[in-house]
Amino acid sequence: MHGGRVRRSRRPRGTEGRTAWAFVLPLVMVELALVAAPMAIGAFYSLYRVDYFELTQFRGLGNYWTVLTSPMVRQALGATVVFSLASLGFTIVFGMALAMRLEADTRVNVWLRAIVLIPYIISMLVGSLLLRWIYATDSGLPGMLLGPFGLGDTSILADPTLAMAALVSNAIWRDSAFAMIVLLAGLKAIPAQLYAAARVDGAGAWMRFTRITLPLMRVPLLIAVVRLLIHFVNVLTFALILTGGGPNNATQTMGLAMYRLGFIDFRIGEANALAILVFVFNIILIGVNLLLFRQRRGVTP
Amino acid sequence: MSAPLQQRPARRWRSRRRTRRWAGWVIDIAIAAVALGPILWGLSTSLKPAPDILAYPPEFIPSRPTLEHYALLFRTGIHHFVLNSAIVSTAAVVLSLALGSLAAYALARMAFTGKAAVMFAVMALMSIPLPSVLVPTFTLLASIGLTNSLTGLALLYTAYQLPIVVWLLYGYFGTLPVELEHAARIDGCTRLQTLRKVVLPLSGPGLVASALFVLTFAWNDFVVAVVMTSSEDVKTLPVAIYGYLGFYGRDWGPLTASAMLSIVPVIAVFIAFQRYFLSGMTGGSIKG
Repeated sequence: MHGGRVRRSRRPRGTEGRTAWAFVLPLVMVELALVAAPMAIGAFYSLYRVDYFELTQFRGLGNYWTVLTSPMVRQALGATVVFSLASLGFTIVFGMALAMRLEADTRVNVWLRAIVLIPYIISMLVGSLLLRWIYATDSGLPGMLLGPFGLGDTSILADPTLAMAALVSNAIWRDSAFAMIVLLAGLKAIPAQLYAAARVDGAGAWMRFTRITLPLMRVPLLIAVVRLLIHFVNVLTFALILTGGGPNNATQTMGLAMYRLGFIDFRIGEANALAILVFVFNIILIGVNLLLFRQRRGVTP
Repeated sequence: MSAPLQQRPARRWRSRRRTRRWAGWVIDIAIAAVALGPILWGLSTSLKPAPDILAYPPEFIPSRPTLEHYALLFRTGIHHFVLNSAIVSTAAVVLSLALGSLAAYALARMAFTGKAAVMFAVMALMSIPLPSVLVPTFTLLASIGLTNSLTGLALLYTAYQLPIVVWLLYGYFGTLPVELEHAARIDGCTRLQTLRKVVLPLSGPGLVASALFVLTFAWNDFVVAVVMTSSEDVKTLPVAIYGYLGFYGRDWGPLTASAMLSIVPVIAVFIAFQRYFLSGMTGGSIKG
C-alpha cells in the first residue's frame, strides 16, 4: 500500500516531464534547425573551397588565413572600429541626455519619447534611405545648409571622412532611442530621496549627476553599451544603403564585408570563415550581456 | 524704498523661469525635429511633382502636391510586395505565438529536466546578431531548397523571434495567479486545455506585446529577405524598395513614396499600441 502510493505520486511527475518536453520541443527543433544547424554547416564550409555551393577542395584553415590577411577585411576591421566606437559614444551620450530630459511622465514627455522612438521602430532600410536622400547633393539640403559657409559644393557621401560621419549619424538617429529606453528604466529605479538629500547637503546638478546618477546607472549603462556594441559591430544595412560601403570602401564595415564576400563575390568558404570569426567575437559580447542580464532583468536582450 | 527692492528679485526670478520654459520648449522642438525631420522631408518629397523635387532652394511644403509617384508604384505592382510582406509577417506572428506560448507555459509552470538549459539557450539566442548568421543560413537553406520561398522566410523570422516571444510570455505567465490553473486541472483539464482555456485568455497584453515584436521585425526585415529570396513573386516590400534604389537611381519621388508605404503601417501600429511596445522593450513586466 505504501509502495503503491509512492508509485502513483511518481508517475504523474514522469508524464509531467514528458508533457513539458512536448511543449518545449517545437521551440528546440526550430532553433536547432534554423540557427544551430546553419552555424554548424557554416563552420564545416569554412574549411573548404566552395564554388557556387559545391565543396571542391579541403583547405583546412586556409580560408581563415586568406580572410585574416586580406586587405579588404583589414580595412573593414578599421572601419568597424571607428564606426562602432564613435556611434557607441554618441548614442550613449544622447540616450542618457534624452532619458534625463524626458524622465518625468508629463504628457509632453510621453509624446516626445514616442516621437524619438519612431526612427528606431521603422525599417532600418527605410531610415537609411531617407537619410541618404537628405545627404544627397540632389536634395538641395546640404547645399542650403553648408552654402553660407562656402561649402555649398561639398558632396557629403563622396568624402571618406564625411561619409563615415554620415554613417555614424545614421546610427545616432536610429539607436539613441534604444539607449534612452534602457537608461530610462535605470533612472526611474533611483530613489528621489537620494537627490533630495544631496540637494540639502548643497550638491549642485553636476555633483548629483556624477556622484548619484552615474554610479547607480552602472548596470543599465553597461547593458546599453554591450547591446549597442553587438548591433554596431554586425550591422550591415546602414552602410549598404546609406553609403554603399564607399567611397573607396572607407565605410565598409564588417557586416557589409561579410555580405559582399558571400553574396556578391560568392566566395562562400571565405565568407563562412569570416562569419565564424565575427561570431567568436560576438560570443564574448553575448557572454557579457548574459552576465549583466542575470544581475538585472531590466531589459529584453 | 523697500518695496522695489523686494519686487526686483521676484521679477527677476519670474523672468528667469520664463526663459527657462522657453528654452525647454526650444529643446523639445529640436528633439522632435531631429527625430522626425528625415521622415517628414521624405513625405514632402514623395508628394512633389518630379521637377519640384530637384528645385533649389528646396521647398519644404509641396506647392503643387501630387500622388503621381504613389500611382506609379501601384501601376508597377508594389501591392504584390506589400501583400507578400503581410503574408510573411502574419505567418511569423501566428507561428511564433503558437510555439512560443507552448514553450513559455512549460517553462513558467512545469518542472522538467533540462529546463535550466532551455532557459539559458533562450536568453543566449536573443542576443545573436542576425548578419553574422546570414551566410551560413543561406548555405543551409540553399542545400535543402528553402530559399526563394515565403515559407522559408516565415520559418526564419519565427526562429529569430521565438526566443524573445518565449521570454516575454514566460514573464507574463509568471504574473498570473496559479490558483485558476489548479482549479482547471482539478476539473480535469489537461495541460494543453488549461493553457488554451485559462492562461491564454488572461494573457492579452503579453500576447499583444509579443505579436508586435514579431510583426515589426518581419515587416521591417531587409537583410534576411534580400539574402534568402531572389525572384519577383516572393519579394517582400523592403527588398522591393532596395530594388527601386537601383532601378530609379536618382529619381527620388517613387523612392520616397515606397519608403512612406513601408513606414506608415508601422507608425500607425506603434502609436496605437505604444504602451505594449515599451513594456516589451523593458522586458518581462508587461502590465495589463
